[in-house]
Order: sequence, then structure tokens, then C-alpha cells
Amino acid sequence: MDIQEQIAGIREACLRELDKVSALQDLEQLRVTVLGKKGSLTGLLRSMGQVAPELRPKVGQWINQTREALESRLEERAAALKAQALEKRLQDEAIDVTEPRPLPRVGVQHPNSSVLDQVIDCFVGLGFEVVEGPQIELDHFNFELLNIPKNHPARDAQDTFYIDDNTVLRTHTSPVQARVMTTRKPPIRIVCPGRVFRADEVDATHSPVFHQIEGLVIDEHITMADLRGTLDAFAKRLYGKDIATRFRPSFFPFTEPSAEVDLTCFNCRGKGCRVCKGTGWIEVLGSGMVNPKVLEMCGIDPSKYSGFAFGIGLERITMLRYGIPDMRLMYEGDERFLRQFR
Amino acid sequence: MKASINWLREYTDIPRDSARVQRELILTGTAVESVERLDGGMENVVVGRVLSCRDHENSDHLHVCTVDVGGEAPLQIVCGAPNVREGILVPTALVGARLPGGTEIRAGKLRGVESFGMLCSATELNIPQELYPSVGPAGLLILNEDYAPGTDVREVFGIMDEVLDVEVLANRPDCLSVWGLAREAAAVFGLPFRLPALDCHEAEGQRLEDYVKITVRDEDLCPRYAARVVRNVTVGPSPLWLRAYLHAAGMRSINNIVDITNFVMLETGHPMHAFDLDRVRGREIIVRRAEAGEKLTTLDKKEHVLSGGELLICDGEGPTGLAGIMGGLESEIEESTGTLLFECAAFDRSSIRLTARALGIRTESSGRFERGVNPRTVMQALDRACHLVEALQAGEVTGGCADLYPNPLAPVQIEASVRRIADRCGVDIPGEEMAGILRRLHFEAELSGDELRVTAPDFRQDIDQEADVCEEVLRMAGYDRIPVTLMRGEARQGFDSERRLRQKALGGLLNALGYDEIYNYSFFGRKQLESLRLADGDERLDALRIRNPLGEDTALMRTTLVPDMLKTLALNMTRGSEQALLYEFGTVFSKQSGENTPYDEQPWLCLGRCGQGSDFYSLRDTVLLLCERQGVKYSIGAKAEPYLHPGRSAAVTAGGRLIARLGEVHPAVAADYGLDGRAYVAEIDLDAFWAAATPMPAVKELPRMPAVNRDIALVLDANQELLPVMEAIRRAGGALLEDVRLFDVYRGSQLPGGKKSCAFSLSFRAADRSLEEKEITALMDKVQRSVKAQFGAEIRA
Repeated sequence: MDIQEQIAGIREACLRELDKVSALQDLEQLRVTVLGKKGSLTGLLRSMGQVAPELRPKVGQWINQTREALESRLEERAAALKAQALEKRLQDEAIDVTEPRPLPRVGVQHPNSSVLDQVIDCFVGLGFEVVEGPQIELDHFNFELLNIPKNHPARDAQDTFYIDDNTVLRTHTSPVQARVMTTRKPPIRIVCPGRVFRADEVDATHSPVFHQIEGLVIDEHITMADLRGTLDAFAKRLYGKDIATRFRPSFFPFTEPSAEVDLTCFNCRGKGCRVCKGTGWIEVLGSGMVNPKVLEMCGIDPSKYSGFAFGIGLERITMLRYGIPDMRLMYEGDERFLRQFR
Repeated sequence: MKASINWLREYTDIPRDSARVQRELILTGTAVESVERLDGGMENVVVGRVLSCRDHENSDHLHVCTVDVGGEAPLQIVCGAPNVREGILVPTALVGARLPGGTEIRAGKLRGVESFGMLCSATELNIPQELYPSVGPAGLLILNEDYAPGTDVREVFGIMDEVLDVEVLANRPDCLSVWGLAREAAAVFGLPFRLPALDCHEAEGQRLEDYVKITVRDEDLCPRYAARVVRNVTVGPSPLWLRAYLHAAGMRSINNIVDITNFVMLETGHPMHAFDLDRVRGREIIVRRAEAGEKLTTLDKKEHVLSGGELLICDGEGPTGLAGIMGGLESEIEESTGTLLFECAAFDRSSIRLTARALGIRTESSGRFERGVNPRTVMQALDRACHLVEALQAGEVTGGCADLYPNPLAPVQIEASVRRIADRCGVDIPGEEMAGILRRLHFEAELSGDELRVTAPDFRQDIDQEADVCEEVLRMAGYDRIPVTLMRGEARQGFDSERRLRQKALGGLLNALGYDEIYNYSFFGRKQLESLRLADGDERLDALRIRNPLGEDTALMRTTLVPDMLKTLALNMTRGSEQALLYEFGTVFSKQSGENTPYDEQPWLCLGRCGQGSDFYSLRDTVLLLCERQGVKYSIGAKAEPYLHPGRSAAVTAGGRLIARLGEVHPAVAADYGLDGRAYVAEIDLDAFWAAATPMPAVKELPRMPAVNRDIALVLDANQELLPVMEAIRRAGGALLEDVRLFDVYRGSQLPGGKKSCAFSLSFRAADRSLEEKEITALMDKVQRSVKAQFGAEIRA
């Protein structure tokens, strides 16, 4: 058999085998058998000595051409087999993507905390600074400086816990305002969130411990309209652009004029529902222009400065917001309640 | 304060549409909480005359009546009441009528006889005895007076009325009266207010001075004391209109004299008192402070021993009443009273408040004095009462009147500025409008240019500065006129407090780790505190006490957050949770005074967990992670607390200062809380924690050279703490030892007893070059020598 036929024979045999191969390692085996160092085609190169010298370049060329052709076929085949194997693996690996499993546990913030964060973000955005104060407070700051002198009936309304004659568990966060007014000069623009106490028996809407957020602005030319503007911005930011404010006259010893502020019911958006008792409005906070007597007692000139103050009950807005029926849930710590919040 | 619309309409013609009245009053500052129909929803119940009455043929107690109800033909009505008889006038519910409570009357058949309505009893119509005295306990409500059949019975009983329930603001005690509310309503609707008749025709003959001598010794507590004498008193029932108004206000009718004092109190806001003058010993009234030890028996038959200083009304021999709170039993008005003294006075509110509180008495009268009764308007009330005595023919008002008012209050005058008021409101209200509003509210108002000279009406006590005038103007102008404006002035940078920002940082991390936030009260009880079994002298036992707590279990300010955490863990587990992971940010209170605060208040963080997935390390690692995330360079070591498992508790410190105590809850303590399984609790002192926190340093360059890893296994005593071993390895490895990790701890049969095998993985790297084998071998040798020497470690192959 001449060399040319031998080459063709190896080639044909190799290509025949190639069609049969179905595993990558068999393909590698075939490659070694034909093209490896001891492979059949490589063997022909080694036996070039028996080829006539003048034919050698030609034969060499034939062998190399055949090698290249086979290599490329082998590679093609390898790629196809790899693709097949991958395809099979992907098929085998299919899983039930709907399989129900418990989600990893993440914890939740108390609803009070998350609502407070939103409220604070809003007021910080309006240029307010957050200031906090002690929970056990002097009568002087909690009452006297806020125009609630000793034996004033307003003290009864606030059912105060006493530590001693001069020290109380603060009944509101207003003493923080008094502290700021007596130590800083206007302009003042602060919000004071915090825990407050009233000697109320526990029921669905009363708790001896609850939280307030109070705001105070003192500057030249502050008006009741600025108060409304600030609270309007707060309401819209927290509950939506379609929420409006309604002011009703009221009385607080440390503001004059005073106003109760209603917001458009955020449950029915003002149409009237169970939450707002059909009125379309929800009473959310108390506010007013700081009583000039309070400014004076705190050493601020009421003929130069005016200001406004407001107080929001955190639990109240949280309960309204999430439809929480009973305040006790907020202080009980039952995770089945807490973990509903997101 | 309850006020009936009919009563208000005696003084001003406010609309009958009560919903509108409510809305307008609310928007101008009078908080009308509710409006209630006095008739309880009764409809179509009329006066009927029983024309005939015969026995029912199929019943031994039913009667068949024909009843004239003012219509064309009489109705046939079957009635079972024993007192039904021909000729009586009786409330008759027509077919389609509605009774209070909602029962509807339909035509029907009773034992075969058709019945077209119902004859009614007082109970069915909800008519109380004081409203209609002849109401018997059973049977039909037979009307004694003559009424035309068909008359609406609500007119007969004076209950065709609606009652406003008003939450009167603390600054408006004048509105604790029908006059006050009528004045407000009149001003709101722009209507005139009619003051009723106050005049009385003093009888000839003896005058007040001939009956009684009145002295006020303590003027500071009694700025005004006025009185009049009525003789030939006839005590008897009050007329229907008076009973109806009292009923509407929620008061019971007693007799004409008591009813007059109550009516005048409700009408004018002035509490009054009537004394039986024949029983005022010595015919003398002295108003003075009590001496310690004096005794008085009040109308409610209770004897009080006074501590001294309480304001008393005394007669010639001693106390006869607690001023403004309750009269004495001694001089109570009775059927036999012939001559009486009406007292109308103003007492100091603080004094009344303190006495009422100290003696545990709260009356309609004391409540009003506490809120402030106006000395200026005392005489109006007294005159009104005397006018009513004459009108009701209840006695003769004698000539003369006592009025001890040594320091009359001057009218309050305020010089206001239209511009300043408008500026404060932020509403452009013209001066003319302001003056008009003020006049509607019975102020005198004189406008000249910007200047608004205002005199407050005598019935207002809450007006003493321009800001008060401002509120009056604005509330009547309408708060809805306040525009929405933004504050002028420079833009300002707002910022949250450092404490809150830090709390948010830790809270967010704890949420990511699965912990839920809880809120607890700030106080607990001795029992809870003692559950921790703290040693005597532990400062946590020295808790601040609330003087007037709600109960013993909420009497102490918290000195630790642990008890509430244990309680909440237990609550969750007993309610069926598989696990509980909780945290609370809370304040811990001390008896020491704080910096600028009455007491020292420290922020702490408490962590608790139990159930599935919890062990000592899961809790410890949470604490360590919080430290690591905030750059706290901490040390940790075993440290027992009385409430923790002695072998599973630790303290975390930084720079020698305690940052956290943590561990497994002592089984005995857990059992006290009803915690079945193991529970873990940690408490972090946030001030100490943040004091040790460090800011993040600049980032390190990423290594370009490969690390070389070597493992080493050490056989150690089983109770050897591994943290020191790890630290020794780290020291021996020096700068090139980048990281050490413990990856296996083995105790078992392959080892001698009392030993454990611990495998560490060491990672070496130099930043600037590849490490050579011999360098690493030398370092590993040094590590081995070090652990051998320090811990007697045996190196395992």
C-alpha cells in the first residue's frame, strides 16, 4: 500500500470512529490513537525514512494537511459533545422553583420606631434639629415654664407620676423645648421626640407610657400661617399629596392662639369612613403660637420674637396608620403582632 | 357640660339644625362632643283618652279599649295594664310609632281581638320619676293634667329637645354654663343674646341685716361673698319646665329650692348654696380657714376631721359647710325650712382643689370652683335665683343683700395692635372686622388706626394679653382663613440626634440578624427586680421609686432591662413560637443625679433569644458583631451574673470598662418566668459601647502576593480557653501571619481523657514579595514552641 493510501485509510478510519464517539474521554482516546506521539498518523511521519526523498516534502504536506483536518474535526466534535453534556447537565439539574420553603428570618423595627423615623426624616428635611431630654424632669421645666403653675387644673388633666414634690416623670416632651428656650438664643427650630408618662390605667387607648414628637420654632416674624405650612408639609410628606389640614380652635396653656389639627382621613381620603367616624377628618395633633408668657419666662423677648409649637402623639398616628386596634399590643412584644410590620 | 337646645334658645335664636350648630361651634372652639335626642328616638306617641274600656272575652286580664288620639275615629287598642280605665289620659303609641330603644309598634291581634296601637307605661317611654312625679312603679303612665288627645307626648314631658355635650376648654369656665354657651352660639351665628330677668321685688319688713351677720375673715381665699335671705319659704315640687331642663342637663329634681340653686348653677356657672337660716346658730355666717382638728359632718353624712387651713363656712358655733365643696348636714334645706339664706361666692380655686383632693370629695360645685368661678358675675347669679324664687312662688325675698367684695376686680383693658394681631395670625384681617368680632363677643372695642383698645367682658377671666385677643379674633374669623405659608429666613440644615442615628445603626444590623424590636414600660416591680437574685449591695437593686405608682408592679424605674426581656421571651414561647429573637433600646435610671438632669439616665440595649437556632454563641456573636461593626476593641471573658448560668456567661469590656454582660439565663430564673427551654440574654451599656467605638480607618491596599496556608492541630486540656491560645499563635506568627482561624475542635476516643484537639488554619502573607518555604517553616516552629511553652500543647501530626 502506498503511503497516500495509508494516509487516506487512517483518515477514513478516524472519521468513522469519530461519528461513533459519544463521550469526551473516548474522543480524547481517539485523538491519542491517531494524532498522539504514538498515534497512527504520527507513526507515518516517523516512517518517512522509507519514502523516496523526492516525495518526502509532498508526503509531509499530505500528512500535515490530514492532521490539521482531523484535529479540526476532533475539536468540532469535542465542542458538540461538550455542548451536549452541558445541555444534559442543565436538564438534569432542573429544580422545582415553586417549592415552598420558609424565607430567611429578618427582624423588624417596632412600628413606633419606623413611624418616628419617617416623621423625623420629614422634619429634618424641613430644617429642624432633633433634640432630646431627660424622662425624669423637674417640675420647673415640665410645668412652671410652660405656664402651668402649681395647683393649676391643667395639672390634673395630665395625671402626673411624681418622684418627689419637685420631680416628675415628664408628662409631655415640652420640657425639652423649655430647656432649649432657656439655654439658646433664637432662631430655634427643633423637634423633640421622646417617651412620656401619664398615670392612666391601661386600656385599648391609654397607656401609662407613650411617645410624643413636639416641634418648636422661634424666630422673628413667625406666624400661625407658617405653622399651618409646616404641618401641611408634614401631612403631605407622610400621608400623601392629597392630605389637607384643618385647624380648630383649642386651648393649651403654653400656646395662644391654640389649634387642634385634623388631617384628611388617610383611610378614606376624606370621604368619611369608620376610622374618621364619617367626618372625613382625623384629629392628629395639638399646636399653636407660643404663649408670649412662656417666651418671657424663658428669657426670650416676645416683642421681638414669635414662634409656634406642636405636639404629635406617636402611638396615635401609628395606630391610625396601621389600623392597630389596641395600644396594649404595642407594649406587649408578641412577635406575631410585631412581625406583620415591614 | 350638657346643654339643651331648648334651654339655649331661651337666650338666643340659634338654628334648630343641631348638626349645623355642632359643626359651627366646633370650628370656633366649642368642642361639642355629641348631640343626643332627649326623647331617645321616640316617635308617634301621643296623648290618648280612653273612651271606653271593657274586659276581653278570652282573657282574665286584658281589656279592649277605644281611645281618642285626636284623629277622626277612635282606635281600638287591647291593653293588659291593671290601671287602665275609662276616662284616663295616657301616652298612646300609634301604629308605626317608635319607642325609645327602637321598638316599633305594629297593628296586631291579641287573643282574637284586633289592636291598633299601645297604651304606654313610664318604663316603655323611659320617663324618669323626677320628670313626671306621678309616675308609678307599674302600669300605665296616667297623665294628671288636661291635654288635647293627639298632643305629642314629648311636649308633655318636655323632652322634645336635643342635648349638646360640650367638652369645655380649661380656659373657658364661663362656658360651663348655659348662658356662656348661648353667648358663644349667639356670637357664632351673629345673633343677639337675651339675658333673662334678674329682678326681684324685695318684700317690705325685715331686711337681711335683721336676719344674719356675715363676716369674711380670710378674704384671700374668698374674694367675694354675697347672700340674700328668703322667708316664708314653701318647699315643694318644681314645675315641669324646670324639671325638664335639669333632666336634660343630667341632674335630678329634688325640690323647688334645691332645683333653683342647681338651675342657676347650670345657667350662670355659679355654684350656690342654700342654708336653713333657722338652723344657722347665732344667726351668723363666718368665712374662715379651719383650725387643725376641727370637725364637720357634710351633707353626705360623712364626718371630716380637718387638718387646718381648709376654707369653712361657719355659724356662730362652728363649721357649717366646706366652702364651695359641700354644705354641712346641720343646715340642710328640709321641707320644714321657713327662712333660708342663698349664698353665692367666689372662692380661691387652689384652696378648693387642695381641700377637695385631701378630703376625697368631688362635687359639681367643687369642680366648678377648681376651674375658676368669676367674682365679677356673682350678683347676677344671686339675683337670678331670687327672681326664680318669686317666679315660682317659693318664698319672699327680703330686702337688702350682703355683698362682701372688698377688692373689686377692675375691667381688663388691652391695647392691641391690628397689625401685630394680623402678623401673629398670618391672616390679613381688617381692623374693622376685628372690632366687629370682639363686639359680638361682648368686648368693648375701639379702633383708631392700628390701635385697637379692648375691654374684656366681665364674664371672661381668660383674657389678659394681646395674644388672647388675637385668638378671639382668629377663631371667630375662622381658622380656615389661615393660609399655608413657608417660614421666612435663611434655609437651615436640619439634623437628627447622634443618639438616634447610632440607635438606628445598631437596630438595622439587629434586624438583619433576625431580631425584632420591642417596647416595654420604663418601670417594673420589686418582684421582677428580685427575680434576678442580685446580691445585696448591687446598685441595680437601688431603684428609684414613683411616689404615686399605678401599682406595685410598676412602681420602680428600671435599673436593668433584663426582667422585661425575660417576660417577653416567655410570652412568645408560651404563645407557641418556635423561636424568639428580641431587642429593646431602653433607658436605665439611677438614683444619682445626672449632668443637668434630676437623675442619671443611661441608654442600654437588651438582646434576648430562645428556641430554635439559639445557643450561647449565637447570642455572644451578635454582641461581638455589633462591637466589630463599630470598631470597638473589646475583650471577652467568663463572668457570672446571679441570673445567668455560671458556666455560660461572659462580660465584654473595652479599656477595662464594662460594655456588655451576656449569657444563658440561669435555669432557676428561667423557670420563674415560665421559660421551659434555654434562653439567652445580653445587656449592652450604650454609653460605654459608643465611647469605645472607633471610626473606620482608611482602606488597605488589596494584596497582590499569594497567601501561604498552614494548618496546625494542638492537643490541649479540655478546659483550656481558646482565645488566649489563638492570641499566642498570633503573637508568635508576627507581622507576616495575616489570619488565624479555629476550624475544628475534637474531643473523643482518639484522645486521652481530659484533652481536646483543636485545629487552626494559619494564613501567611507579605505585602511585597512571595514568602519562602524556610521563612514559613521557621514561623510555624516558633508558633509550636510558643503554644507548647504556654499551654502545654502537644502538636498533632
